[in-house]
Amino acid sequence: MNSFEDFSRPEEYVSPGIKYFRMVLRDLIEKEVMPVRKEFDEDWEEHKLIEPLFDKIMGNKGLGTQKSLFPEEVGGWGLGHSDYLGGFAYAMAEEVGRADTGFAVAYLVTLWPLLTILVEPYVNWRLAREFAPMFCNSDKAVFAAMCMTEPQGGADIENLELLKGKTIRTTARLEGDEWVINGHKLWPTNTGGVADLMAVPCTTNPGSDNPDDYALIFVPADTKGVTQGRPYEKAGMAADKNGDIWFEDVRVPSWYRAHGPGTDAKVFMKFVIPLGNVGSMGMLVGAMLNLYERLYEFVSTRTYNNRPLKENDAIAGLIGKIAGDIDVCRIIGHEAAMIIDRRNKPYGKPLDSAEVIGKTRSMKKFIADTAVEDFGLAMDVLGVYGVDREWDIEKHWRDIKMIQLWMGGKQLCQMEAARYFYNCETL
Amino acid sequence: MKKKPDDVFIYPGTWINEDARDFVATVEDWARKEIISKRLEYQKEYKKLFHEKRKKLLFDIGLDKIILPEEYNGFGWNTPERAPDLFSIFTEIGKADACVGFLAAVKYACFALVSMEPDIDKKLLDDLVPTYFAEDPKDVAIILPGPGIMGKETPLFKARSIMANVKSTKAGNTIEGKDLRPTGGGADAELFCVVCADKGKEACIGFVPADAEGVKKGAPIKETGLDACTNADVSFDKVKVPSSYLVKRKAAVQELYVWLNLLFGSTSLGAAMNFYEILYDWADTRTIKGGGRLKENPLCASVLADVAREISMARISGLGLAHIMAQSGERGGIGSPGVYTFAQMIGSSMQKSALSALNRGMELMGSAGYSKEWHVEKHWRDIKTIQAYLSGVGSDIPVKMDIARFFYDTEEV
Repeated sequence: MNSFEDFSRPEEYVSPGIKYFRMVLRDLIEKEVMPVRKEFDEDWEEHKLIEPLFDKIMGNKGLGTQKSLFPEEVGGWGLGHSDYLGGFAYAMAEEVGRADTGFAVAYLVTLWPLLTILVEPYVNWRLAREFAPMFCNSDKAVFAAMCMTEPQGGADIENLELLKGKTIRTTARLEGDEWVINGHKLWPTNTGGVADLMAVPCTTNPGSDNPDDYALIFVPADTKGVTQGRPYEKAGMAADKNGDIWFEDVRVPSWYRAHGPGTDAKVFMKFVIPLGNVGSMGMLVGAMLNLYERLYEFVSTRTYNNRPLKENDAIAGLIGKIAGDIDVCRIIGHEAAMIIDRRNKPYGKPLDSAEVIGKTRSMKKFIADTAVEDFGLAMDVLGVYGVDREWDIEKHWRDIKMIQLWMGGKQLCQMEAARYFYNCETL
Repeated sequence: MKKKPDDVFIYPGTWINEDARDFVATVEDWARKEIISKRLEYQKEYKKLFHEKRKKLLFDIGLDKIILPEEYNGFGWNTPERAPDLFSIFTEIGKADACVGFLAAVKYACFALVSMEPDIDKKLLDDLVPTYFAEDPKDVAIILPGPGIMGKETPLFKARSIMANVKSTKAGNTIEGKDLRPTGGGADAELFCVVCADKGKEACIGFVPADAEGVKKGAPIKETGLDACTNADVSFDKVKVPSSYLVKRKAAVQELYVWLNLLFGSTSLGAAMNFYEILYDWADTRTIKGGGRLKENPLCASVLADVAREISMARISGLGLAHIMAQSGERGGIGSPGVYTFAQMIGSSMQKSALSALNRGMELMGSAGYSKEWHVEKHWRDIKTIQAYLSGVGSDIPVKMDIARFFYDTEEV
């Protein structure tokens, strides 16, 4: 094996455009992010080191990825019209996740809420035109946040399939041609003062489980009544800021609702959950590829019983397991991306179907559990050096635990899988 | 929470000596009043408060000298029979802060070599106690055998590389080693306990004051957990120490591992038990599916059960190890093959159980488990760090080889 790139992936799933994009992105990541990623932890609050790096990947003077979903007519790359949306999302996540999954999530979550208004056939042209200048004309990185979680029950908002939004306490009331929003959200990526635009799942009828009452409303961060708390201090993921957000009589134009009754819930289910899972998988596999690189170096240069670690049969058993896991997880990640990209094919499945949601949830769970296990194991192989940030593995270990926990966590993944595979009706 | 952890994590309490129970209660009281109830305050100024709280435990309560013989103003708990008592004390410390336990464990393990009956080394204690048990924390770090470096054949301790060596002459000992990775707070350590190889490639242990000529510490290392304890590589360039500073007793290195396994294990267990309390309150007050309490959901309850089971097994097996150590005289001493093997086996298993409890329980706490506010992530990082130090190199493979040697007379691994 020559490099991490030799881990398996279905080559026919990877378009020439994705291959080229990966090459450009990897080059940038290698030059700009890899050399300084060890210092991210100390920069968690200020982002003095991290912020300029985002500009280079997201802003117009850099790669300009923040405009990738916008239609070409309004200055974007038109990825929202692409048959390779899933493949691109996975590739971005894997390439950036290889360096730092916190950096990857902050960057990719900017695209996450925009999926609901920029992907065919659900393009909201009015909002696309309105928000395009913010993202397409900026040299600086511009961030978006998807503000889901509420204090009373973390996973319930994500559990739209079962609860249908009835636990949402953030309210949206239509007054004339304005939505008036009140509520409190926790933990969204790119909060803590970072986001310029927020997508806020609200209810127009508290306690209702009618999908028509689920409203996804965009709120510019500088709107009167929006208050962002300071970023939380966390175990890792320093490049991703999270905090509390309060909405107090926040008024936005009525057309800032993503689509309208019924469709908001549908696009949330179609794009937010499956692509969130695909992005999570890409980040995890990216980190695992880097795990392989660092572990390879250690087991080749350090010894046990005066022989290279990798030449000891028992230790080879451990590192062989890790490599095998990475190989399988990478194939699964690409398959998940292809599930997204088959959506418009005759043999594809609707993204809001129980099948797609159940399968992508369980794929994400599998990769997350495997990654958590393998990073822990690799740290133990390094022993006293496993906890040393110099070897990068411990930082990934801290970071990827968060991926296992987010989007409703592991148990929700298990429930979604059970619902689909066993036709459970009451879970 | 309604229940005390001690009431639910049932253990053979009679193995704890009667006269130790008050002291264990005092340490528990310190943990609750000084740290657990003040966690938010503690987080803001961790290093400063860590130092203050630790000083209170070490000197006001007297933990620092607990294993010293009475003639050195110690508690006189310098017999292996005190292993269950020490296990209980370190569990209480771990509930508060694993770093306090970690540093104390390292110091105890080193001084157990020279202060425990029947191997009390009066000359060395006379030399070391006045300096390293003064009224300010004096930390010790251990250089254990571990990974070797390609192209450099080293003497071995049970297949682990011994990276330091000692040359003995009548005038004293000269210890050498380059870029050695200590277990403990190497950057702040004032004394190093170094496993080194002698001329015959046998493992022995040297005590090296950090201010000895030729001792050079490297840059501080950024590590996963144990935040108040800073590690740094250390090099010994022809460092001379008196001949009495070398412990060449047979199986001394095994003894070191036995004590480390017990004390690191109980520290991590304590952290996991405190996590249980946090998780209990979380599962009792948080809802799922729009109303039901988390702990009443069967899937969540099964995860909670896994957490409780891991902690229960770790506590019982850890106390079992302490009991074996207390009776080690019957088996040839603390460093005997049986005690050593059980210590390695149970010690690594305790770390795995404690970490598994955290990993599983965090699944139910979502982002809160990951936020510093809840203190869970700190326990998680601390346990992982202790586990990595104990592992040394190659995950649990070296321990498995130890087990195979004992149970199957394996000779070539």
